[in-house]
Amino acid sequence: MDQLFDVSLFNSALRMVTPILLAALGGAICSRAGLFNVGLEGLVLFGAFFAIVGNFLTGSVWLAVLFAVVCVMLFSLIFGYLSIHLKANAIIVGISLNFLALGLTSFCLRAIFHVKGAYYDKDMKGLPQLDIPLIKDIPWGGGVISGHSPLVYLAIILVFVFQYFLFRTVRGFRLLAVGENPVAAKSLGIKVTRIQYGAVLISGLLCGLAGAQLSLGQVTMFTENMTSGRGFIALVATMLGQSNPLGVAASSMLFGFMDAVSIRLQGFSMPTNFTNMLPYVVTLVMMFFFKNKSYVQEARKANESSR
Amino acid sequence: MNISKLKNGIGALVQPVVAILLGLLIGAIAIAIVGGDISQTYAEMWKGAFGSFYFFTNTLSRATPIILVGLGTTLAFRAGFFNLGAEGQMILGGLCAAITALYLPGPGWVKMIAALISGIVAGGIWSAFAGWMDAKFRMNLLITTLLLNYIASLFAGYLVAYPLKDNTGSAAMAQTKMIDHSAWLPKLFHGMSLHAGFLIAVVGAVLLFLYMRFTVSGYEVRMLGSNPLFAAYGGVQRGKLMLYSMIASGGFAGLAGAVEVLGTQYRYLDGSLSTPGYAWSGIMATLLAGSHPLGTVASSLLLAALQTGGMGVERNTEVPLEIASVIQATLILFVSAKISYSFIKRKKARAQDGSVV
Repeated sequence: MDQLFDVSLFNSALRMVTPILLAALGGAICSRAGLFNVGLEGLVLFGAFFAIVGNFLTGSVWLAVLFAVVCVMLFSLIFGYLSIHLKANAIIVGISLNFLALGLTSFCLRAIFHVKGAYYDKDMKGLPQLDIPLIKDIPWGGGVISGHSPLVYLAIILVFVFQYFLFRTVRGFRLLAVGENPVAAKSLGIKVTRIQYGAVLISGLLCGLAGAQLSLGQVTMFTENMTSGRGFIALVATMLGQSNPLGVAASSMLFGFMDAVSIRLQGFSMPTNFTNMLPYVVTLVMMFFFKNKSYVQEARKANESSR
Repeated sequence: MNISKLKNGIGALVQPVVAILLGLLIGAIAIAIVGGDISQTYAEMWKGAFGSFYFFTNTLSRATPIILVGLGTTLAFRAGFFNLGAEGQMILGGLCAAITALYLPGPGWVKMIAALISGIVAGGIWSAFAGWMDAKFRMNLLITTLLLNYIASLFAGYLVAYPLKDNTGSAAMAQTKMIDHSAWLPKLFHGMSLHAGFLIAVVGAVLLFLYMRFTVSGYEVRMLGSNPLFAAYGGVQRGKLMLYSMIASGGFAGLAGAVEVLGTQYRYLDGSLSTPGYAWSGIMATLLAGSHPLGTVASSLLLAALQTGGMGVERNTEVPLEIASVIQATLILFVSAKISYSFIKRKKARAQDGSVV
């Protein structure tokens, strides 16, 4: 057991959790504004791809992150336009956005880099690893917390920022009101669509960062469908955490930890199929403790169902 | 057939046609960006999908699992349940069909029918598990079906990599042994890939259409999907109906897996059902057809044609195969705007009633 739970396990858990956490925060903001964003997976994939493209074009890591964020925000606007403006079913738009991301990124991979499957350039620089001066020297915790990319720290800070924003500021309260009851919010003079567009853009920004961390954080490369379900896991984290930033952080951490454990267990000569299954099974078990809202309430609120 | 009905029928067709044209337009832009010849590329795509009898039957056989998955999703979507677990249900269906066909004693046709049934049962149970968790514990169906996909595919991968692995051949691949020739689904034409599964899919589509249109429980399913409050008021038991529709929906997906195993692969090979993306194409076909059973057949054929056509493009031009997925995705995006179109009409109608949103 000592071998299993050592410093590097928690260190890698923190690193793996970051893309999920960032995307899940984006999902939480959207769902608080009354939009269920199933397109997280696709948006993160776009982020990962455009971060590499930005890096390829500009040669600067920070411009690459900026490029990714801007591009993903544009794509999140498509989601916003269809689901807010045209009132299309947000779930369906989200699903189709995922298809678009998968198709467009693999097409562009062929078109821009002329490779199939994966793009890797050993000269390309990834995000720097920050060693935090004082914390680094703390015996155990230092090894866990120090030595990550700046986006990891940004994600942790953003959890508290969003917690404060949602529950302590007027703007945050308006956003909650829009999600809770758009008609009542509108009657109070709150600009419902503007706030929803804002939430969608914020989630685009966060997904862009998540993608950048994914493709530039640890290894500097892009592979086809490299999110491989992380966006959906972020969606699960959003729901498990009841769209509450702290709760979302806790449930993302759980998943990241399980992910790290599963990779570690492979060293213990267990079949990889079972170790890879661990995060999904644990998430499923956790969902037992999470009670969904009654479907009647949901139906009343949305008053339009799937199709 | 009166005029307003005819008008409605045409109106329902206009939207998908416009979406297809827009999808092809975006595709043309993408081709132009990578420096391909637009008309030549589309000509190659057409040839790759329908150019000869061989390619045409190839497209049909690719459409077969897509149609079956699409039918399952159609039923679930019509009942108002987002069953995104078609992939896992299909994988387990295919796996169980392969195991049944391999280890059940008896003549070939018994093996074949038992394998098809076991595929349906496996898919249905896996899907009902998600439905049960939603009905009993209020666990969101969309999420559980997605998670169950990963679990099913990893579990099937384990089985074929360890206990059921084919050790007879020289290839060290994670796959089962080859099914006996007598249990294969018969080919419709000699030397072509098209097999009897296509007929099963078409018959399934017609049956589903008749069920949804003319039976009481089909009406209840549609009512539950279009207005759950009204359905509850009318005495429809949501939990029970959900369980049944999820079983049927998963059954179709499981059948898709079984048909693919018995008609094309003749064994369960790890990743052979998930890599071509049959399940997600089926969901796309459903979205494209607006959850209409017969429309799903047409849209499945369209998607399959795009995919086989994309392979033709890859063979004969500089444009990459992925052009097909770009066209598919834009198609679906434009079609989701169609759903909004009917919603706006509804909203207008409501405004005339003088009621609030």
